[in-house]
Amino acid sequence: MLRAGLSKHGKKAVSLHKTGPQVAQELLACIGCNECLLACPALDEAITIDVLNRETYSGPISTPVAHFARSCFQCGACVAPCPVGLSREAMMMWLKVRLLRSGWEKS
Amino acid sequence: MTELVAKNVDSADLVIIGNGIAGLTAAVEARRQAPDRRVVIITEQSHPTINTPALKQFAIGKLNREQLLAYPAGTEQAQFIHVINARAEEIHAQDRYITLKGGRGFGYSELLIATGSAPTGLPPTLPGRDFDGVLTLHRLYDYLDLRRRLGEVEEAVVIGGGAHAIETVMSLLYWGIRVHWLIRGDTFLPRMLDRPASEMVLDSIERAGAQVYTETEALGIVGRVGMVAGVVTNHQQLLPCQLVLVCTGTTAVTSLARHCDLKMKHKQGILVDEHLRTSVPHIYAAGDVAAIKDPQTGLYAPRAQWYAAVSQGRMAASLMTGSSPTEELGIPWHATRLGSLSMLTVGNVLQWQDTITTLTDSSRNSYRRMAVIDDQLVGYLSLGPSQPDSLAIKRIIEEGLSIRDIKKSLLKGTFDARSYFSRRRTYSAQRMVTTGKLPVADELEKRMQAIRNRAALPQAGRQEEQLYGTRALPGTDPLLKADFFERTTDEDLQLFADPFVTAPIDLERARGQRDNAAANANKLAERGLTSEGVRQVKTSHIIESTLVKAPQTPRTGRSPSGSLWSYSSPLPAVKVNSVETPGPPAGNGVSEIGQRGRKSQFKTPASSREKSKQRPPDVYPSSSLWAYSEKKRMKGH
Repeated sequence: MLRAGLSKHGKKAVSLHKTGPQVAQELLACIGCNECLLACPALDEAITIDVLNRETYSGPISTPVAHFARSCFQCGACVAPCPVGLSREAMMMWLKVRLLRSGWEKS
Repeated sequence: MTELVAKNVDSADLVIIGNGIAGLTAAVEARRQAPDRRVVIITEQSHPTINTPALKQFAIGKLNREQLLAYPAGTEQAQFIHVINARAEEIHAQDRYITLKGGRGFGYSELLIATGSAPTGLPPTLPGRDFDGVLTLHRLYDYLDLRRRLGEVEEAVVIGGGAHAIETVMSLLYWGIRVHWLIRGDTFLPRMLDRPASEMVLDSIERAGAQVYTETEALGIVGRVGMVAGVVTNHQQLLPCQLVLVCTGTTAVTSLARHCDLKMKHKQGILVDEHLRTSVPHIYAAGDVAAIKDPQTGLYAPRAQWYAAVSQGRMAASLMTGSSPTEELGIPWHATRLGSLSMLTVGNVLQWQDTITTLTDSSRNSYRRMAVIDDQLVGYLSLGPSQPDSLAIKRIIEEGLSIRDIKKSLLKGTFDARSYFSRRRTYSAQRMVTTGKLPVADELEKRMQAIRNRAALPQAGRQEEQLYGTRALPGTDPLLKADFFERTTDEDLQLFADPFVTAPIDLERARGQRDNAAANANKLAERGLTSEGVRQVKTSHIIESTLVKAPQTPRTGRSPSGSLWSYSSPLPAVKVNSVETPGPPAGNGVSEIGQRGRKSQFKTPASSREKSKQRPPDVYPSSSLWAYSEKKRMKGH
């Protein structure tokens, strides 16, 4: 019997998922201080936080943001620096799912 | 609607005054919900909306100006939001138009006031406040000015005891500037943090290299040929500096409420109901300018935080376009970084009576304090190197979820919100399958709903005045808080134990108390309260897990270790579960935990505390000498 939150090896599994309303709420609470992007080891594009936030939740995804979403490997380096306690990695997960659904990966 | 307005006057369906984040969010959201309305923003500000909390990162050069934009450049044009650069001066609510500077009129159907706040600054009588180099940090231009000046500054004085002051101190330290930080009170953020938390913050700032002066005020600013040369404190000390940064808080810009032909209730902000309506029809207020009721306490106060402004902007947009808002304003929530520490306060942690259980924990280099009724959380304070899942905790309080299973992890700061909420979903799904019933809203949520219904305004036609007429609106000034501790009858206590039932506050009585401050202080002392109206730690209501009781020593006048005793005496090694702290001596309401006395202006950074034991007693002929000797030591350090 697996206990919730524990994998079969007994290690604490980290859930990357947050619900849509939660992600939307966190995006609204983002103060735009850029600390998460400064900490990111995978960021290779000139992305500003306002564009990333707008495109994470809805609307078309621009090429730099799509590239960034693909290079993000969910290391979690963005979570600790956040002064407001938001989980950027859950937002990135959301962005990735949207990217997959939009069929961007195929083209 | 617009037929009320004269033909020759410009008008718009939705007029928003101010292009801060509340104003622009409202405009964008209104556009989304009502694509055919005319949306106009009237603002004095000549730059687009920026992420104001990110100005601290801008101050230390981590960001450039373009990265400050809150919305991608050109959003206003793309969304057909017309921006007028002008100052709105008067509201003619009966005829539904405002006058701009120069006498031009502008009609509205619905008006949103989002004028934000202005820095309070130094008292107007303070000598030397006009010297060059005395800055308030509030707007983008202030930070541009600061960045230009940084090159020629070696020492700076920061005045003020809030989160903004700490961020300023840290920015200056980042640039290698020696910082003197003057705090008027003896603790930091006294209304949000308790004493151990305040001590922790101040210690971390001292460790970062700043000189902290508690219970110190600037009496005057000394200049040399027009430039700042130093600050004179109330301890007859001269702190030499080239820059004085004033972070004494902000005040809501309520000038429009004063210049309105109908009475718009305002005090420390424009009073609004839970749907952001002011006391004047068709006028809303959002952002720093709006004083909102705290659903837990019933007190009105502005919530000058980013997230609050964003959610208020969205709510105002929904209401102005005629749709019903999907979110609630909820309880106060503040998450920020204080130097190396992350601070989170949700709900009310300190303001409760002792009918509420308080849990504190100070393990893992951090500090947490929880206010709990039965198994429901009503307030949470966390201070530590990392931020917990702050919005999840807000949700737990607002939904009144039981914390029976997570009490320990919340207290120890190991709470995993995601697994908790995913388990909850699983449980409710299971319950739906096994019982065949839809999940019922929690009782507390229902209770909050009841409050909201009771306070809801009568339907259109009977105006907001009715609400404000029949219910006494409690004031927003902190002195009225004393009323909390004046509830003596059992009925009152019972009422108060229920956080979401607001009792009407007797304004007259509260005012009387304020006027009669001395008598009140005595009364409070008799009840075992400190003069600030903070109830003293009482037996069995505070359960501490690791905080050990500081030994009681007689407080003698200027003994050498007077301010350091709590650190130099060996602490008892026992951890206690329930601390019995005796009440303070009558008439002297001083907490015994970490007293930061007047002498603590000479408090040394933590690492050099050992050295300071051998320090000669604080009986120097001139206290100002200390500043210099201190400085030398700091250099070597």
